[in-house]
Amino acid sequence: MRSTLRGRAVGFAAAALLIGTVAGACSSSAPAGPITIGFFAPESGFAAADGASAYDAAQLAVKDINTAGGVNGSQISLVNYDDASDAKQAVTIATKLATQDKVTAVVSGSYSDQTLAAAPIFQRNSIPMLAAYAVNPGIPATGNFIFQQDFTGEVEGAAAAVALVKDLGATKVAIVAIQNDFGSSLTTGFTKEAQALGATIVATDNNQFGEKDFTPILQRDVSKGANGFFMAQYYSEAQQYITNWNALGLHLPLVGTEGVDSTTQFFEPVGAAANGMVFTTPFNRDSTDSAVLSFVKSFTAAYSHAPDMVAATTYDSFMVLKQAMAKGTSPAQIQSGIAGTTNFVGVTGTIQSYNSTGEVVKAVDLEIIKDGAVHHYGDVTDPSIITP
Amino acid sequence: MEVFASSAVQGIVQGSLYALIALGPSLTYGLLRILDVANAAGLTLGAYVGLEAYSATGQWWLALIAGAMAGAVLGWLIQRLLYRPILGRGPIVPLIAGIGVFIAAEEAFRLVFGPYNRTFAATLPLPALQVAGTQVTGVETLILLIGVTVFPATWWLLRRTSLGLAWRATSQDRETAQAMGINIGRVIASIFVIGYALAAVGGVLVGVTYNTVYPTMGDIPAYKMLAIIVLGGLGNPLGTILAAMLIGLVETFVVAYFGFVLPRDAIAFIALILILLVRPRGLLPGDEVVQ
Repeated sequence: MRSTLRGRAVGFAAAALLIGTVAGACSSSAPAGPITIGFFAPESGFAAADGASAYDAAQLAVKDINTAGGVNGSQISLVNYDDASDAKQAVTIATKLATQDKVTAVVSGSYSDQTLAAAPIFQRNSIPMLAAYAVNPGIPATGNFIFQQDFTGEVEGAAAAVALVKDLGATKVAIVAIQNDFGSSLTTGFTKEAQALGATIVATDNNQFGEKDFTPILQRDVSKGANGFFMAQYYSEAQQYITNWNALGLHLPLVGTEGVDSTTQFFEPVGAAANGMVFTTPFNRDSTDSAVLSFVKSFTAAYSHAPDMVAATTYDSFMVLKQAMAKGTSPAQIQSGIAGTTNFVGVTGTIQSYNSTGEVVKAVDLEIIKDGAVHHYGDVTDPSIITP
Repeated sequence: MEVFASSAVQGIVQGSLYALIALGPSLTYGLLRILDVANAAGLTLGAYVGLEAYSATGQWWLALIAGAMAGAVLGWLIQRLLYRPILGRGPIVPLIAGIGVFIAAEEAFRLVFGPYNRTFAATLPLPALQVAGTQVTGVETLILLIGVTVFPATWWLLRRTSLGLAWRATSQDRETAQAMGINIGRVIASIFVIGYALAAVGGVLVGVTYNTVYPTMGDIPAYKMLAIIVLGGLGNPLGTILAAMLIGLVETFVVAYFGFVLPRDAIAFIALILILLVRPRGLLPGDEVVQ
């Protein structure tokens, strides 16, 4: 009697542990076509909304490419994994994609920490990889097979400084940045450019993921005389920041970054509460370009919400890969195809080129939240800023 | 001065919330010498059930009741299916089992409710007050009201009811209490039901305060509550309430005066270490409850 109860209880606990681990593990789809493209994104965990958005865009891109005839007549197929916003998981996935699935190329739909961890594995195995929206400059620096589709954090930070200091006239800036690769590269770029433009940084604070109360920091920044704020946060923390901002009744220039660029997790819940905030992003919502309009239309129809930055950059990564594979699908051919891209027009604007490190050179778009909706505000096109 | 006043008020609100969430683990430890990490699953479950109830009915008090009931059911299930069968196994087995259930529960929440942050924008009919020159929002007033009700109720429960007497007896010596005719099974069930219901109410309040509900919202409370119950004195729920208020105040003051120099959640543990150096058995060691 006793041992059955004991066995049952231990079994229950073990089963619970096992279910927990399995449920959190990655999911995969078996490769089915001759050209397989690996893809990973944080489809579970705190960044799941970004992961879902990226994965949706990846699927749409593959569908569009195949409908238009595929690559050189061959269909492409997606090999997808969920990295659960965990760098260790990303390493496992990269090893799998490189050595077991043996994919032709990879698009990373994941954050900087995870992409940075995975990149060396792809480089070692000579598999071309495009990071859709991870902005840490260490990623393209990994090697010649690794490319960055979104402008690096330092470029984006510098563009944000142009917006806040030059356009909006801030002279004393308070920075609140998330404590990770994304936040630190943005802070570096912002600080350098803001100081070059003559502004002083009165405070730089770094918060952890999950921070919910920015009120004391904002109060201290105001008491230090800040007349402009740079918010380098992801959507969860940004939502709390904006709530605290409004509770304090602040009416000062505020510039955010693409970290908030999520339809379901920021623009919809926060909406008009963030009116007046300008943010840097690669995706222009007001573009009249036919490719953009058609992308927005088919994405919204398929996934019931408007696409965001994460979706747009992921989509473009696949399109860049498609044109790079036009001359052949060997690693060297794809690598030189991407590296030789010139003035590629995608849904995130025009990619002028990729520099020798694999970093993209393109204008930084500025959007503003007006009446609860995202609209175009301006561009930063100065080559001295956008060239990494 | 304004910073001091606003930090004091915010600290008390935060401390009250911590106390509400830490009471369950404190009562459980006192009773069974088990550190119940799974209690934080009650917090998340309460938040989700409360959110669903609010979305369905628009009544905030229904959200609290529904959340509390869901927490109570979860608490009953966990003690019956997980902890009761492994009571004789020492402190490590239940701790590991509790952690395992907590991890699995988070994945279950993700699978059932989706991995995204969901908003919990509840309008409470409580006005924002001005206390000591600082603003206290409706939900913060509610937290204080609930605290002011629950904490004396806990004292009354432990000192003036037969359940409280049974709890104190069982926590002193389980076998003798059983020999004296106390129904241990019922005491354990009652404590878990109460503890998880409190955590669930805490979950609803956290969800409304920050307008966000997500599967891993129990992560930080799970281990922070352990720090608080150790700080308060293991086995003493009143010490837990005191420790929770202290941690809430310390966290708020440190961030207000020094910014994010430390991760906010590290502050609880640093306070724990510092105080244990001076008072190794915590603020109010367990045996003081009996006096």
